[in-house]
Amino acid sequence: MKLIEIKEILEAEVVSGEYDPEIEIEIGCSSDLMSEILAFGKPGSILLTSLMNIQVINTANVADIKAVCFVMGKIPDENIINLAKKNDIIVFITKFTTFESCGRLYKNGLKSCSYLNFEK
Amino acid sequence: MDNNKRTTTKIQELTYELKVKDVMTKDVETVSPKMPVNFLRDVLQNKRISGVPVVNDNEFVGLISIEDFIKCLEQGKMDDLIEDRMTKNIKTLYADEPLVHAVVKFEKFGFGRFPVISRKDKKLVGIITKSDIIKGVLKKLETAYHDEEERRYRASHIFNDIIADEVFLKFQYYVEGKNFDKAGEASTGLKKTLYRLGLSPEIVRRAAISTYEAEINVVAFTDGGIIVAYVEPHQIKIVITDKGPGIPNIENAMKPGFSTAPEWVRELGFGAGMGLPNIKKFADKMTLRSKVGKGTHLEIIVKLSNYRDED
Amino acid sequence: MVNLKDIVQKLDLKVVSGDINREVSAGYASDLLSDVIANAQKDNIWITLQTHVNIVAVANLQELAGIILVNGRQPEQATLKKAEQENIPILLTELSTFEIVGKLYELGIHGNKMSSA
Ligand SMILES: Nc1ncnc2c1ncn2[C@@H]1O[C@H](COP(=O)(O)OP(=O)(O)OP(=O)(O)O)[C@@H](O)[C@H]1O
Ligand SMILES: [Mg+2]
Repeated sequence: MKLIEIKEILEAEVVSGEYDPEIEIEIGCSSDLMSEILAFGKPGSILLTSLMNIQVINTANVADIKAVCFVMGKIPDENIINLAKKNDIIVFITKFTTFESCGRLYKNGLKSCSYLNFEK
Repeated sequence: MDNNKRTTTKIQELTYELKVKDVMTKDVETVSPKMPVNFLRDVLQNKRISGVPVVNDNEFVGLISIEDFIKCLEQGKMDDLIEDRMTKNIKTLYADEPLVHAVVKFEKFGFGRFPVISRKDKKLVGIITKSDIIKGVLKKLETAYHDEEERRYRASHIFNDIIADEVFLKFQYYVEGKNFDKAGEASTGLKKTLYRLGLSPEIVRRAAISTYEAEINVVAFTDGGIIVAYVEPHQIKIVITDKGPGIPNIENAMKPGFSTAPEWVRELGFGAGMGLPNIKKFADKMTLRSKVGKGTHLEIIVKLSNYRDED
Repeated sequence: MVNLKDIVQKLDLKVVSGDINREVSAGYASDLLSDVIANAQKDNIWITLQTHVNIVAVANLQELAGIILVNGRQPEQATLKKAEQENIPILLTELSTFEIVGKLYELGIHGNKMSSA
């Protein structure tokens, strides 16, 4: 699924500046506990979370997660956005809840991180 | 302090980027094994060099040094053939090896110079000294980075900064306890460095995730600690130490879901009890030692799968 | 409203506590208790990987329809006991939050509409 499609499905806004709308994201994952994301998140995936602090970006960074979507209309502060920009992570904000966002993306064909096997 | 650290990293990176052939001296004065030692007199004097490679039909066969020459002089054996007085089985470097290998060899053997040969046909292509390395790195720094940054350190530091012998590269980070605004700086910094060193994304990811989990634990549970990463030819070793409260029961701590994280840590997105299990999952080897009231020592090893023995 | 019993059957959830004969209004997915307290609504089905006993209290407070624990998580002993006492359905799945939410969505369960955004 292209980033631009994700943006449309979630009626989201990209707050991390310029991005390539054609980038393909195959996998979605959602958690508010970072270690869970590190355990199951897949490189190149999108993370949906209601947690909002710089550790979300650090987590995405070390796990090679391509995009982060903050839910419920919360707006990340500058530190978060700058760190994301610096590490080439795309940041979305959507007014939907985590539940609604995951549901919509799944319905439109985004796969889950547990969908693929669990190896390293 | 901070700037110093940064520059060190750049130098270290450069020793991986640059190859021996990039900094070696190419026009090398050579002698042939069938010449008498006496012939060296002019070479050593004119060129002010302390040793000369001995080459037979382009093939490197040994090194004759100023010491060898002086011995012959003392013994009145100036007519001996060079091949009988030279040192054979000299350690050499391949032209396409990363500079860091040269640094390590200098530290290990204490020689002043190494002949450089081509991997393909074993022909002598140059010679490398410590000062060639320093000059080469300096020159590269000059073109790669701003002048101002380049002036911040002295060339003589290079060999101190690159901690050699078995260890190829060492990076050190301090982790502040209880400060979640800074948490992650060490591991994301290390990640960037590993990536720049050209390690595979999968290896870098595993090392970064493991280090991040360990770093977060130091932040969450202690008053601070140190992370030291050693990039060796065949593995990355990351050692995390703190003088925190220690872990009373390691077996329990390792269980997925086990956590003593307080509420404030949970609200920051941690405390799933998955950190240590994650390290175990992503590392090739994990050694955790801890003493209550003393601190915790964690060692993480990620093997470099594309490891290739050079010598 | 969708019946929790139907959900359990269709998604092959394992019931470890509570009466599943109740209606689900919508879904809420979160691993932060404060967030659930602030934003979950009555009769929501709550998706989380938190297994701590506090989840029962939160579910009780918000009058949630039930809790689905994801990624193969098992409730702690105390959690189970409290959930039985309070008649809070706890359901288990091997699936991730993303996937179980996706499947719930396909059964017609949507997210809460957030008024303040
Ligand atoms: N450096 C440390 N010093 C003291 N205790 C530690 C340290 N590292 C881990 N622990 C203990 O081990 C437990 C398990 O650690 P682990 O990293 O697996 O989970 P966590 O940090 O609680 O949660 P998560 O890592 O999922 O956010 C911790 O809750 C803590 O009690
Ligand atoms: Mg941890």
